[in-house]
Amino acid sequence: MSDRQLLVGPFNRVEGDLEIALDVREGRVVEARANSPLFRGFEMMLQGKAPSDALTLTPRICGICSISQSAAAALALADAGAVTMPPQGRLAAAILHGVENLCDHISHFALFFMPDFARPVYAGRGWHDRAVARYTAQEGSAVRPLIEARAQLFHIVGLLGGKWPHTLAIQPGGVTRAPDARDRIRIQTTLRAARRVLERELFGGSLEDFAALGSVAACEGWTRGDVALFSEISADLGLEAIGVGPRRYLSCGAYPLAEGRVTRSGVWEGGAVSEFDPGEIVEDVSHAWMLGDAAHPAQGATLPDEDMAEPGYSWCKAPRLGGRTVEVGALARQVVDGHPLALGLADEGSVRARIAGRLLEIARTVLWLEDWAAALDPGAVFMDPAPSLREGVGVGLVEAARGTLGHWIAVEKGRIARYQIVAPTTWNFSPRDAGGVPGPVEAALVGAPVGEGETTPVMVQHVVRSFDPCMVCTVH
Amino acid sequence: MSQIETFYEVMRSQGITRRSFMKYCSLTAAALGLGPAFVPKIAHAMETKPRTPVIWVHGLECTCCSESFIRSAHPLAKDVVLSMISLDYDDTLMAAAGHQAEAALQETIDKYKGNYILAVEGNPPLNEDGMYCIVGGKPFVDQLKHAAEHAKAIISWGACASYGCVQAAKPNPTRATPVHKVITDKPIIKVPGCPPIAEVMTGVITYMLTFDRLPELDRQGRPAMFYSQRIHDKCYRRPHFDAGQFVEAWDDENARKGYCLYKMGCKGPTTYNACSTVRWNEGVSFPIQSGHGCIGCSEDGFWDQGSFYNRVTDLTQFGVEANADKIGMAAAGVVGGGIALHAAVSALKTAQKKTQTSKEEV
Repeated sequence: MSDRQLLVGPFNRVEGDLEIALDVREGRVVEARANSPLFRGFEMMLQGKAPSDALTLTPRICGICSISQSAAAALALADAGAVTMPPQGRLAAAILHGVENLCDHISHFALFFMPDFARPVYAGRGWHDRAVARYTAQEGSAVRPLIEARAQLFHIVGLLGGKWPHTLAIQPGGVTRAPDARDRIRIQTTLRAARRVLERELFGGSLEDFAALGSVAACEGWTRGDVALFSEISADLGLEAIGVGPRRYLSCGAYPLAEGRVTRSGVWEGGAVSEFDPGEIVEDVSHAWMLGDAAHPAQGATLPDEDMAEPGYSWCKAPRLGGRTVEVGALARQVVDGHPLALGLADEGSVRARIAGRLLEIARTVLWLEDWAAALDPGAVFMDPAPSLREGVGVGLVEAARGTLGHWIAVEKGRIARYQIVAPTTWNFSPRDAGGVPGPVEAALVGAPVGEGETTPVMVQHVVRSFDPCMVCTVH
Repeated sequence: MSQIETFYEVMRSQGITRRSFMKYCSLTAAALGLGPAFVPKIAHAMETKPRTPVIWVHGLECTCCSESFIRSAHPLAKDVVLSMISLDYDDTLMAAAGHQAEAALQETIDKYKGNYILAVEGNPPLNEDGMYCIVGGKPFVDQLKHAAEHAKAIISWGACASYGCVQAAKPNPTRATPVHKVITDKPIIKVPGCPPIAEVMTGVITYMLTFDRLPELDRQGRPAMFYSQRIHDKCYRRPHFDAGQFVEAWDDENARKGYCLYKMGCKGPTTYNACSTVRWNEGVSFPIQSGHGCIGCSEDGFWDQGSFYNRVTDLTQFGVEANADKIGMAAAGVVGGGIALHAAVSALKTAQKKTQTSKEEV
């Protein structure tokens, strides 16, 4: 087969716009370039505004991970003002954030990832009829109950945060809503209902059992629910060998509670976890339509290049940790946290590993949420006063559904002087850096098969979607 | 266009029973503030009229409107409306991808020329010839104009499409521009909010699909049935405002008592939306109920009105009913056109009040 170039996009069923340019040789991708074609300029808008406005502006970066953005902004402001949240405020914030992350994982599986297996291209495969019945876009028998469960889960955010998306409740000093005993019971009831749906529709067994899986073999041996359907599909299509990422995983540790972050912070590579030093982050702009030089986000600037000059090909900057690419997300979080199943998948770093990592996190997150809800103490203090910020610099690092999210703020004379955001998909979908090293998804696409005459190669779709890209966060 | 199936046929093919269908009709009537007498009318319309095709496009946005929409309260309403939309074009939810998807869009435009509703989420950035938002290799503004050309009417979902919203906040780096400044020759219905309430979205779209006409609009082009009252008018904390009882600091004693959030910067007195009546996340709550003031996200230019935590400034006194009303009138003057709509939509408002009363009875 002759060499050809392919432009895949717009991708639908991803958040925001995405285009990927592929060079194909002998039926395989040899080079990929990811372009995030949507730019709004949040970092420019934030300059000159009151620091607290970051709490309302930054969530609008993204309609599906708005709580992550708001949690990061609150932490950055708290850091700049040397404010700490009271323990119960942290707990309530963790519940808000955990629900959003859980819901994002459910949507990803049901709405974004699985429907691709219902495509006609897979007709005739042993599992195809079941994939069609369960996950045909909008009609599959699994889609409706899962989406309904998700809507129900957001009642918790409604109770604690007033509204979702774009929840306002998380502040540097805590949360605005002190839940009462009745709220706590409603939260617990809602979680129980969600657990039932997940156990019935997704896992076909108890969440505890799935969360306790100790190896990849044990996961492959899970024969129930749509987890088993996915395993069967994955084995048939060889998804354990497709879309291999950098196999360097970063997590800043999810959910900062009073006793520490619930999952560990660190960088995993080659079986060892080293400490994560945010000071090692540099955002490279050599292949972005951005002016300026590579810089740490605390010193970075956002200067869009209106000429969109070569060699730029994306609005996305290229964050690197110690000069190297890292993958972030549910798998990365679970690997860095040292979960045995995730550790088994870490070296594989494939499409399957990412999906399994996410399923694992679905199970674990429900268990966490149940514990946190039980620990809510309605009589406690949920917010300490935070004096208005005149001067200061701060950083807020959180784990969004799709991975590590950082906000860097500098306040001068009561106004925001600088604001930089590095989002999870900025890490995963970054363009090349000055050394020509491709970003994680660009590298993961190399080797993906492209069938003769395929214009939207289905394997490329699987690889891209396994990262659960959120393009509106990527470039903001 | 006789080849288009009716609403009822669409619903039947989705496996929805007659009983559920009738329930849907009465819910729709209630949501729209129409009396029970309208139920058979809605049912008749849905049985006999060809469904209205919908094309849903996304510009510069965060997809929060879609996210809000797919969580709407009544699953049936959502399923029905979604199933009708999915037959046509929506790039976040549809099954097709890439060029297929673009082809599907063109096909829908050709097939239903002059007969479809164009729902726009987000807005086009005009700087650099629209290069800040590229869909299918072309600026979104081109796709928008192309899809709008043969549309019967346009729905501007959310603050982005209606007013520009956050990306249009100063300095508006991309020159994000609301839909009505780009498309000037089509009826446009604005459904502002960041995002709009799901029930408001389904309500508006159901009304248009059912009655084949725009709902009554106020002077700003918003459906009067949902945007004719200020948050403040129906806020459950209003008695505390009238009594001069205010939260002074986050999570203070007054906050625990549920006092008014005016001093914490609540924009409820100047914001026209249905949050305090319809509420959010299936009627669970709304921002004020969670102890955070309203930020006025359904008002034009709400990003650049000063800090969200500063109180509404042009009030000289508060805490007394008469002054509170004056405050409201002045504010309505500022946002432009709020007052005129009160007269224009009295009929619908009356109907909605009835519904609210009956809801309270339940």
